[in-house]
Amino acid sequence: MKLASILAAGMLLLLSASGAVAQTDCKKLVPPSPWGPNDQTGATNRVTPAVTKAAAAEIQEGKVVPMSYPLVDGVPLFGTRFTKTILTATSLAPGASFGENELTYMEDTWLSQSHVGTHLDGLGHIGRKDCYFNQIAMGKYITQNNMTKLGLEHLKSFATRGVLIDVVKVLQQSGKFKGNSACKKPCVDKGTVLTSADLQAGLKMYNVTLREGDIVIIHTGWGDLFEQFPAQNATYNSGEPGIGKDAAKWLAEQKVVAVGSDTWAVEVIPGEDPKEAFIVHNLLITDAGIHIIENVRTDLMAAEAARTNRATFFFNMTVPRAVGMTGNFVGIDGIR
Amino acid sequence: MLALVAVLIVGSLGAGADERRYTIAFANLTEEPGATLGATGFTGREVRESFVLAARRLPVDLVFYDNRRDSRTALDNAGDAVRRRVDLFIEYFHEPGANEAVARAFREARIPVLAINYPVGDAPLYAADNVTAGRIGGEALAEFGARAWQAADVIGVVVGAVSNRHDGVPERVQGLVDGLRRRQPSTRIVSLDTQGNPATVATLIGKLLAAQPKAKLLVAALDDTTALAAKSALEAGGRLADAAIVGFGCDRSIHGGANDRKEIDPSNRGSIVLGSVAFYLDRYGYDVLPLALRVLRGERVPSRTMTAHKLITAANVFREYPPYDMQ
Repeated sequence: MKLASILAAGMLLLLSASGAVAQTDCKKLVPPSPWGPNDQTGATNRVTPAVTKAAAAEIQEGKVVPMSYPLVDGVPLFGTRFTKTILTATSLAPGASFGENELTYMEDTWLSQSHVGTHLDGLGHIGRKDCYFNQIAMGKYITQNNMTKLGLEHLKSFATRGVLIDVVKVLQQSGKFKGNSACKKPCVDKGTVLTSADLQAGLKMYNVTLREGDIVIIHTGWGDLFEQFPAQNATYNSGEPGIGKDAAKWLAEQKVVAVGSDTWAVEVIPGEDPKEAFIVHNLLITDAGIHIIENVRTDLMAAEAARTNRATFFFNMTVPRAVGMTGNFVGIDGIR
Repeated sequence: MLALVAVLIVGSLGAGADERRYTIAFANLTEEPGATLGATGFTGREVRESFVLAARRLPVDLVFYDNRRDSRTALDNAGDAVRRRVDLFIEYFHEPGANEAVARAFREARIPVLAINYPVGDAPLYAADNVTAGRIGGEALAEFGARAWQAADVIGVVVGAVSNRHDGVPERVQGLVDGLRRRQPSTRIVSLDTQGNPATVATLIGKLLAAQPKAKLLVAALDDTTALAAKSALEAGGRLADAAIVGFGCDRSIHGGANDRKEIDPSNRGSIVLGSVAFYLDRYGYDVLPLALRVLRGERVPSRTMTAHKLITAANVFREYPPYDMQ
């Protein structure tokens, strides 16, 4: 955390000294939000009462399917990210309780970066130069502690329909499946580009048509390596299967709210063009205000879909109103 | 001995639904683990991987061969590709005699050929441009010297496998000598021949430092391993402040991810290693497969296509090689 603070302070100094804060013409780099020049909410604008009500129809049995991984020491973390808890339990010591009722308590200090475990990428996470969603020149809207625009507090609800796309099955059925021997269950190998055709084949497999306001969850099987933590952390982080640019553009055209997967970046790594960095993040978050959800546990819902021949569910996820933050770890349940 | 490595079926990603798929064979110079190619630090595996990655979005099925730096194997591989009736053959092999025979075989079979780094008959050639690469490195050093050490005794130092007469090394050396002298034609240039053994760098540089206690050194290291060894030698000699280094190749020994903290890194802008001239063997597939498709579609392609070399520095390394990790 100290290192992160130093780096952040250094970054601010660097930005100030170089004049980089000032002003790229963001109108040339990022499209405007369809929800107007003041919009900081992005795709969750699509989760209207009608969308939530329609999604509620997915709850037919009351079955809750977990879709997030436990956040615990040893899970794969991207780059130098970390998450650590410290338990305060001093009142458990003999004689340290309170009052005649001998009340004791415990609480935690959570030292963590926000993009760890199953987590949501907010709209302030990714930009082009200093230009972020809705042409916002973010250099003017950052402090040492947080952003003053595009923070998570601006997001609306994620109470909408979730749609699972099982690309393991898609690629197996089309004869294009190439797995990775480190996975205990079938997983699509890293570097595999998932196309819009693959996604559409996955939707067709379960007879689903995407609706505006849906959240798309892609099962690649790569999450099997996450579940083997820490043994396969290096393999998990060494690359991943994921959507390519044409699939990202197609998903944006479908007006979805978020795209998640059982991978650490949702997009194919290595990317399609070796000179581009995380381009799908730009296409979805920066250009379309569509969230990315990483490290989603998808295997249970994939099994449920296969068992029932139904790949849709009520997507139950809340995001803390963490002011000025770029993202946060989340808990997700798929309710059927 | 035939050295067919694998047949890789790459999905029809990015290709139009009705577009024809092509089978393209690539015979690599060598895939011996750790063996480096083209007087750089890149391995055959990296070259091959670039073809796998580049093919993902192309209507291409790849067949790989390993020529094992052996003429007999190269001829056997070519014969197998002819029998398979591949649509196009990409040859990366260094022996002119074998390459002539390969060219004849494919001409008779009416299968087009592309050549990498060494001519194969009159096939279109994709190649490193060692003269230009050398000049880029030499000029970068000369400009640094002119900026930092105007009044000093400045010596140009070429260190590496200087006596290697192959792999474009003489051309690279000629280019960098031209570059070093562009600003100051009278610049004295010293050659330190490692004969390909980077372990000799410390001794060679140490002797030079002892003989030139006051000189400023512009060090052109013919590959990245040598560049890093030269830096260590200068550090050991207490002369880091008296030298600047440029390497050639820009392989993964000298740059990496955001957390790797390699020598060429945005957080290491004060390094005396100014940069490394990129040879991009890890991106050959991205350059060569589009050429192959143009040939197969009946388009004209240039008789020679050269690698677009560039000096990779702390200022542009993450732009040129975006890392997958972040801090």
